[in-house]
Amino acid sequence: MSKVERLVNLTVALLDARRPRTFAELRASTGYWQQDDAESARRMFERDKDELRRLGVPIETVSLDAFDTETGYVIDRDRYEMPTVDLDRDEVAALAIALRVTNRSQERLALGKLAAMAPDPGAATTPETDLAVHVADEPPEELTRAVFERRRLRFAYSGAGGEASRRDLEPYGIVRRRGRSYVVGRDRDREALRAFRVDRIVGQPEVVGDRDAFEVPADADLVAQVRGPVSGAVDLELRVSPAAAWAVEARGGTREGAADAPSGWTRHVVRGVDRGRCVSWLLALVPDVVVDGPAEVRDEVVAALRRLADVTAS
Amino acid sequence: MGASEAVARMLTLVPWLLERPGASVAETASAFGVSEAVIRSDLGHLDFCGLPGLGGGDVFEVHLEDDRIVLNMIHELRRPMRLTPAEALRLVLTLDAASRSMGDELPALATALGKVRAAAGVPDGAVVTVHEHDDQIATSLRRALGSGHRVAFDYVGRADGVPRRRRVDPWQLDVTDEGWYLRGHDVDAGAERSFRLDRMRSLAVTDEVRDHEPPELPLAAPSYPDGNVGTTVRLRLGPTARWIAERLSLDAREEVGDDLVVSFRTDALPWVAELVRTARGEAVVLAPHELGRMVARTAVVGLERHEAG
Repeated sequence: MSKVERLVNLTVALLDARRPRTFAELRASTGYWQQDDAESARRMFERDKDELRRLGVPIETVSLDAFDTETGYVIDRDRYEMPTVDLDRDEVAALAIALRVTNRSQERLALGKLAAMAPDPGAATTPETDLAVHVADEPPEELTRAVFERRRLRFAYSGAGGEASRRDLEPYGIVRRRGRSYVVGRDRDREALRAFRVDRIVGQPEVVGDRDAFEVPADADLVAQVRGPVSGAVDLELRVSPAAAWAVEARGGTREGAADAPSGWTRHVVRGVDRGRCVSWLLALVPDVVVDGPAEVRDEVVAALRRLADVTAS
Repeated sequence: MGASEAVARMLTLVPWLLERPGASVAETASAFGVSEAVIRSDLGHLDFCGLPGLGGGDVFEVHLEDDRIVLNMIHELRRPMRLTPAEALRLVLTLDAASRSMGDELPALATALGKVRAAAGVPDGAVVTVHEHDDQIATSLRRALGSGHRVAFDYVGRADGVPRRRRVDPWQLDVTDEGWYLRGHDVDAGAERSFRLDRMRSLAVTDEVRDHEPPELPLAAPSYPDGNVGTTVRLRLGPTARWIAERLSLDAREEVGDDLVVSFRTDALPWVAELVRTARGEAVVLAPHELGRMVARTAVVGLERHEAG
């Protein structure tokens, strides 16, 4: 008797059941878990059940009497089965080409689920080998489930400075930026939109409460949360060396007037940049830029340079 | 191979085969991205499955004749299982990346992606990837890859102060968690190089046909940055400068009071000097002296230029 067959047959038995089945009934109908030692038979059954759940088989546990002494198991067919995906030939072909780039069997299997009931692509699909997608870091399954099912999430979080906190979140979405995953949502204790780095979540996040427990406001800007606080837009007035002109122009800066001879320095205006975040960008370009305005940004850059000069002099 | 993986595949294989009576072992193997031996092994297991007598159930019937597969009496598994949240997330991320670069060639991908999101239960806007590069660059590069033409673009390497024009025979686009990269033959360097798309400017697809062909595709996953070259740097990072540690591939880290002392290797000291300046005095260079002097000099010169008005 093989484990593969045992797991497939347990799935079949529970899908076929019109009412929850007890362990004793499942033993009798399948002929498995027959060890003499009742304890080890039971443990094997529990392991099998957990393994199927990890694959996504929605095995439900039901109490069969008021005293919780008899437990039954069942699979709700509606929760198990993929809803109909109305894909046409061209769409199946497009999915096959797009997923081939990851070159992993997991995506083939996912495509198999989606396309099992759909028509096969007409023409042979040419493999696309010049695009390679490498997805490494993935959020925990429970977190992803909470986002998709609109359920609350509780977790321990370790902040940038190492400080620990407990969070209670309505997770609106997952944002990926520069190789990191973030979960963004409404922090219920702080009553505000917050972003959390997934790799700083400590231990397993806990899904609490029912599905569709909250609605995502239409004006929730998840990406802005990940990018950091916005402190208001300003127009920067800069003097720029020839070496940095490209960098300022790449950021949307426009040149004002002619270059200063013979240094080649130019005056640039960069409109609508974030006041808080532009300081770091300007410090990276120093000494090839000089900030003429606005005064508050200039003062902040000068103060930072003074600190840098002091620290490096000591 | 794990039993779990086999079970997951079989629960999908059965409805797929029920829809396609007479499918060949070869086409089935190809659809699932596994060998024919694996499909034969799956069929062998299925032949021993099915539960007679339970609510109308029966032993599964697996017929394999002249390499054609026909299944009977497996009505319990007639439909595929739902995508798990992890599968759905991976699928949406991959399809999103693909549609950003191939959307023009595959118009059906956009409608398919919408249907997949709906079937997988992924709400609109619940998965967002922030791309720091211009989508137009990825589209142009794909066109050049398809037609086999050389590309030219302005590029600022981490060790460069100013952009240089590069000429590259493109081989492959890599979409990694860190961002998008082009791999190809750098004509002027005469060697294989990787380029970040978000550091490219003014990309042009030239009329020249590429004359350096890639080694066998797909190339293995790239590893960035190349940490085995260059100078060893040590920095002391105050509490508000700890983020710097996350941008680096570290050789060592040590907590010293409230500070974090890190060491790493780099071939791009000017880039590290930028990071240190950005920390506004909360990051201190412990080694090498050259880097400390570089930071001090730019700070002093920067101050003079501001105060000269």
